[in-house]
Amino acid sequence: MLESELHDLSDDADYAASQQQGSASMMLRSDSIKQNSPRDGAEVVFTKENVAIHPTQFASERISGRLKLIKQSSALFMTWIPYKGHSTEARLSDNERNLYTIRAVPFTEIRSIRRHTPALGWQYIIVVLSSGLAYPPLYFYSGGVKEFLATIKQHVLLVRSEEDANVFLVNDFQNTLQRTLSSLELPRAVPLACGPSNMSVDESILNENQERADNDVNNGSSSVTHFHGRPRQKVDPARDISIQVLEKFSLVTKFARETTSQLFRENQINGFSERRTPIQTNIDHPRRSSHVEEKTSDESCLALDSQEFDNLSLVWGKPRQPPLGSEEWIIFLDSEGRVTDSEALRKRVFYGGLDHELRNEVWGLLLGYYPYDSTYAEREFLKSIKKSEYENIKNQWQSISSAQAKRFTKFRERKGLIEKDVVRTDRSLPFYEGDDNPNVNILRDILLTYSFYNFDLGYCQGMSDLLSPILFVMDDESEAFWCFVALMERLGPNFNRDQNGMHSQLFALSKLVELLDSPLHNYFKQRDCLNYFFCFRWILIQFKREFEYEKTMRLWEVLWTHYPSEHLHLYLCVAILKRYRGKIVGEGMDFDTLLKFINELSGHIDLDATLRDAEALCICAGENGAARIPPGTPPSLPIDDGSVYAQQDEIL
Amino acid sequence: MSYAYLFKYIIIGDTGVGKSCLLLQFTDKRFQPVHDLTIGVEFGARMITIDNKPIKLQIWDTAGQESFRSITRSYYRGAAGALLVYDITRRETFNHLASWLEDARQHANANMTIMLIGNKCDLAHRRAVSTEEGEQFAKEHGLIFMEASAKTAQNVEEAFIKTAATIYKKIQDGVFDVSNESYGIKVGYGGIPGPSGGRDGPSAAAGGCCS
Ligand SMILES: Nc1nc2c(ncn2[C@@H]2O[C@H](COP(=O)(O)OP(=O)(O)OP(=O)(O)O)[C@@H](O)[C@H]2O)c(=O)[nH]1
Ligand SMILES: [Mg+2]
Repeated sequence: MLESELHDLSDDADYAASQQQGSASMMLRSDSIKQNSPRDGAEVVFTKENVAIHPTQFASERISGRLKLIKQSSALFMTWIPYKGHSTEARLSDNERNLYTIRAVPFTEIRSIRRHTPALGWQYIIVVLSSGLAYPPLYFYSGGVKEFLATIKQHVLLVRSEEDANVFLVNDFQNTLQRTLSSLELPRAVPLACGPSNMSVDESILNENQERADNDVNNGSSSVTHFHGRPRQKVDPARDISIQVLEKFSLVTKFARETTSQLFRENQINGFSERRTPIQTNIDHPRRSSHVEEKTSDESCLALDSQEFDNLSLVWGKPRQPPLGSEEWIIFLDSEGRVTDSEALRKRVFYGGLDHELRNEVWGLLLGYYPYDSTYAEREFLKSIKKSEYENIKNQWQSISSAQAKRFTKFRERKGLIEKDVVRTDRSLPFYEGDDNPNVNILRDILLTYSFYNFDLGYCQGMSDLLSPILFVMDDESEAFWCFVALMERLGPNFNRDQNGMHSQLFALSKLVELLDSPLHNYFKQRDCLNYFFCFRWILIQFKREFEYEKTMRLWEVLWTHYPSEHLHLYLCVAILKRYRGKIVGEGMDFDTLLKFINELSGHIDLDATLRDAEALCICAGENGAARIPPGTPPSLPIDDGSVYAQQDEIL
Repeated sequence: MSYAYLFKYIIIGDTGVGKSCLLLQFTDKRFQPVHDLTIGVEFGARMITIDNKPIKLQIWDTAGQESFRSITRSYYRGAAGALLVYDITRRETFNHLASWLEDARQHANANMTIMLIGNKCDLAHRRAVSTEEGEQFAKEHGLIFMEASAKTAQNVEEAFIKTAATIYKKIQDGVFDVSNESYGIKVGYGGIPGPSGGRDGPSAAAGGCCS
């Protein structure tokens, strides 16, 4: 539908302009090195204009900026600062811009750089940090990837990975040694508020960067505050609270605003402000309690946020309702079976879920397989059309003869992997248990058919977990297939082989925790846990292994309503982490312990309570929260351009 | 139960080679063919005795699928032992060993003890990798080697224990500074003689449950 917008920049004036700018900067490049030459030992060794991030799949929504390599003493740093006030990007908020800003990351923190040089389109790189987290792809609109890598090579050890010629490992020779050394270090005593990434670069260089990237003079300092999001100023703490709260509320949704005044009164009664200090001293800065007074208001605000949200969640998480049953369901339909008010339906399902008998009828609507305004008859018709369409696709692999299969390694491998996995999916459930269970074969057929329907994405582990409840509910091969297709339209990128989708999820999660629970964020930072890998399974298979089957189905239908946010699953992660923050911080969990702890939460999470918390967090965070989730993070509905899953590697 | 030492193990290798089954056989002494495939990582733990000392093994069973590797690598950190598993009936799982090994060497500590396991040796009639090839590979790369079966339990106990014995010997020989937990070893009660031997932190923690 939006295809024309995609990768079509032929008539994009901005692109033309940027091209000009690009060539100009090419000429300026060597000059700029001289201009910035050694001042306090910091030197800009590489500058590239028009290096952009595509926050969505629309190339036209890119954020352009300037990429630099800066050398100070013997350390090399990379920065990427987005331009300000670019006309076609006006609708991107400062928040979004700041979200992506790369502020002097030292190469000691970079593990590898992956280069992508597609035949069509722009070259881009993906920078992977040693934490394992990756920045979004940086597109070089004016070329220069090679030059960039060559410059790096002059300053740090850069070696091509043996596994993949497009991957360049940074400082790899020291890897083992370095790791051993760094693990010998005592827990870092770095002030928590300032990340390792901007520790050591000369501030003046940074500020200069900032100014040069800022076309908007008036706004010169706003992005300096960056993720902290608030200007630095000394404020009377008691007054501070109301200001902060008001400020936050001015951004949140209508619903939030309506509740604000009531909430305010309650908080004051609760002695809200008095509880602030202990939080800071006990959790945020265990060893620095005597310095509380010296801290900037920045930190106070951050500490405050979490406290504030703790209180809010008590007030706002609406009680869950009983599931929607058949009698009430009828009310949502007109005489011909159309859903008259889909918003109301989604809201109702969000708060209560569905009676099991209704799932078969409603899931297809929630997933977008059937349009809400379709009639009973239209749905029956669609069902029969789709059935033959399914059979056609299925026939594509069913008709592969064994002689042909012999010469079709990719097919054999895929089939083999799927066969291995369907026998390891929910086999303890009556629906899938026992030898030669026909439902297991249907799982296999659907997955194999899907891997032909979406050959680029193919099959990836975790898909069988997502399909299992759908087949159980739909109890029809073709219907289950199409519902699965609709679900994968939303979640497909999570299964990309380069893990791009999952990295953007984890990135978004880290930003949300930073916003909604800064003590926990600081703790993770201190403990080197910011990659959030411990939440990997939660997100990839949407908590399927964390709840019993029935609860999983309940949760999924709630998530699928995309009410109040399409990214509710991320708020759910925050809600769970927040709930256990005391334990995590109190017991001083390190990465290993945390991973184990999170794994073992499986089966012990109270779904309803967590959903209430997640809802509250989502509403509290409002647009602030939404702005921290990189656009395009699944399940943002993707665009059907066929290139979303384009793979570079050959595995399956 | 208190322990003298706690060792962290990781189990790595291609998807479907039987890592989770090996773990389950070792911790629960049963073969569960319908066990779910692994997403991310799973945990198991068991006490064993070496040289009359109770040793707790904390075992991380990782997901084998290629595309999860960028995530699962982060689990290698601080492991004292690794079981590198292939499936003797699937040649490609043997062919991939070198890349697993490289990963392990890169992301785990250098003194990690690695045990190579050719699993599913109950399926000898479908064998695609000979015992000699396994031995050869192990020899070339300095690994301990065993063929095993998670199904019949053959050599499963031995594989885990022999790895622990090797680690234990390294401790005795002073290869590790056991007070540094990055080696994947924690000292509990009675672990090392001297002032730090009686540290009750880990043993007290282990007292509550055996996870
Ligand atoms: N015959 C036989 N089958 C085995 C043995 N070990 C595992 N299997 C089978 O091999 C399949 C895969 O075993 P898993 O333990 O799930 O494999 P895994 O290595 O954990 O795989 P991932 O979790 O995907 O990385 C299962 O269906 C088991 O039934 C064995 O020793 N003998
Ligand atoms: Mg497994």
